[in-house]
Amino acid sequence: MERYYKKWFYLLVLPAVLLFVFVIGLPFVIGTIYSFTSWRGTYFAGGTLSESFVGLENYIQAFSDEQFIHSMIYTTAYTLVAVVAINIVALSFALMLGRIKRGVGLYRTVFFLPNMLGGLAMGFIWQFIFQVVYTDLLFSPDGLFHVEFLRFMTQDTTKALFALVIMTVWQSAGYMMLIYISGLNSIPGELYEAAEIDGAGPIRKFFTVTLPLLMPSITIVLFLTLANSFKLLDQNIALTNGDFNTRLMALQILRTIQDKTPPNYGVAQAQAVVFFVIVAVISLFQVSLTRRKEVEY
Amino acid sequence: MKGSVFFRKRVVRAILYIGLTALALYTLMPLLFLLLNSFKGQAEIIRNPLAPPQNFTLEYLIRAYQEIHFPKALGYTVLITLFSLAFIVLFSSLCGWAITRHKSRASTVIYLVFVAAMLIPFQAVMYPLMNLMDRVGLKNIPGLIVMYTGFGLSLSIFLYSGFFKSVPRAIEEAGFIDGANIFQTFFLLVFPLVKSTTVTVLILNGMWIWNDYLLPYLTLGTSESRTLVLELFYAKMTAGQFGNPWELIFPAVLISVLPMVIVFLCLQKYFVKGVSEGAIKS
Repeated sequence: MERYYKKWFYLLVLPAVLLFVFVIGLPFVIGTIYSFTSWRGTYFAGGTLSESFVGLENYIQAFSDEQFIHSMIYTTAYTLVAVVAINIVALSFALMLGRIKRGVGLYRTVFFLPNMLGGLAMGFIWQFIFQVVYTDLLFSPDGLFHVEFLRFMTQDTTKALFALVIMTVWQSAGYMMLIYISGLNSIPGELYEAAEIDGAGPIRKFFTVTLPLLMPSITIVLFLTLANSFKLLDQNIALTNGDFNTRLMALQILRTIQDKTPPNYGVAQAQAVVFFVIVAVISLFQVSLTRRKEVEY
Repeated sequence: MKGSVFFRKRVVRAILYIGLTALALYTLMPLLFLLLNSFKGQAEIIRNPLAPPQNFTLEYLIRAYQEIHFPKALGYTVLITLFSLAFIVLFSSLCGWAITRHKSRASTVIYLVFVAAMLIPFQAVMYPLMNLMDRVGLKNIPGLIVMYTGFGLSLSIFLYSGFFKSVPRAIEEAGFIDGANIFQTFFLLVFPLVKSTTVTVLILNGMWIWNDYLLPYLTLGTSESRTLVLELFYAKMTAGQFGNPWELIFPAVLISVLPMVIVFLCLQKYFVKGVSEGAIKS
């Protein structure tokens, strides 16, 4: 048997490995090398590749670029707010659905539906909602309630961050809810009964039984929401297109090459490498942190 | 005493249903706007965004249909999504199977590299990748399929190899003894057993490939062949220079999301299963 698998092993993994090397491996290595050169997209400013090494020049430029620094801060702020908001809403959905019997499927479908529709397409609709419905109807001085903060949300750096949060909570809470639901379903009922016999109320039960046993799901949801928030692009383009200083990092990397002529791909690539390092470090750090908090039963 | 507990439970349940219904309506609200405003002219949309259309007309829908070259764009999107998914399932299931069945240094390294690659954001590779694709003449639809397959592999191999570990080898051994070759063994005996993972792989990859904007934008750009999302983007960007043409955007968004809504409503059971299981396995 072993020999049989061994004989065919390389043939079976070959297509996947080749594609991976071609699409991710090679570009990743090339990209990292190019981030130390004066790459201009189709040529090198210094002549050949070996003549174009500029050391840390691109990284220094990236970190002294106000727009890039701003996009890092902006992305971090957005991620913090969005991760907390999405998690609270998703967990509330899951807990509420866990306590009813009839209609669970219908509510679940409705909450999940926005996730199916593209970030760009729905971003255009939300842009309309923020620009017309929020601004002129609901929250205008002669609207339902006058809330100035909720008006012209796509035309202000801080407000646009919350506009993005409102939209992404709407779009991804249903997805994360599904993960929380399957986490809640895997908690054995006897544990709740035991807690009840010991005299624990609903709040006590939530903190001593539900939350600790939900840690694996929380790990996954945190991982997904952190990564998704950091990499968010479509909604950013659709809502503000980065105007009014609202570029997240993904959009900044895309626009760096359009900001200057000739486009400086070397700097954009250096930003992309920084972006990779941040995403990787945060993801690994978060996973190891929450893994430690998981309990066994 | 017993009566009051019973009463309290009913009150709690009523509050839950009211809360959930309110949240469901809030969730559906943007889609309701989308529907209502797809049949109105610009002035009416701005004046009365929440009201139903005064005169029901398909005029705007038809214009949007032509403007975004709907049949063609839909065809490309379907083509790209289906081919990418087929290749992802084929290559990642074979690879996942091979690395769980044959334990060696090579298989461990391959597995770890695929898992680690999940941390690489697309932005980190996109510029060199586009350069590479351009050089080999793949900055086109077949190239998109190649790239989506490449990007879909990591997660899929991870999911498949997790599941293959729990599939007993006895069935495969019986197959070999009966003289089946490696492909017969895999496709006839093993592959049907991992159907639930295949569903997860299809759903998770299908959702992002269908709705993806950046990769088609970089690859196809302003060329003739565009995906639905890309058509939508250009419809908004080109007309948007003179203010937002909502009378075009609403119907265009409506028809471009409709196919996905239909697919979702028909297969929602699988979507729910796919997402939940995908999360548990990772």
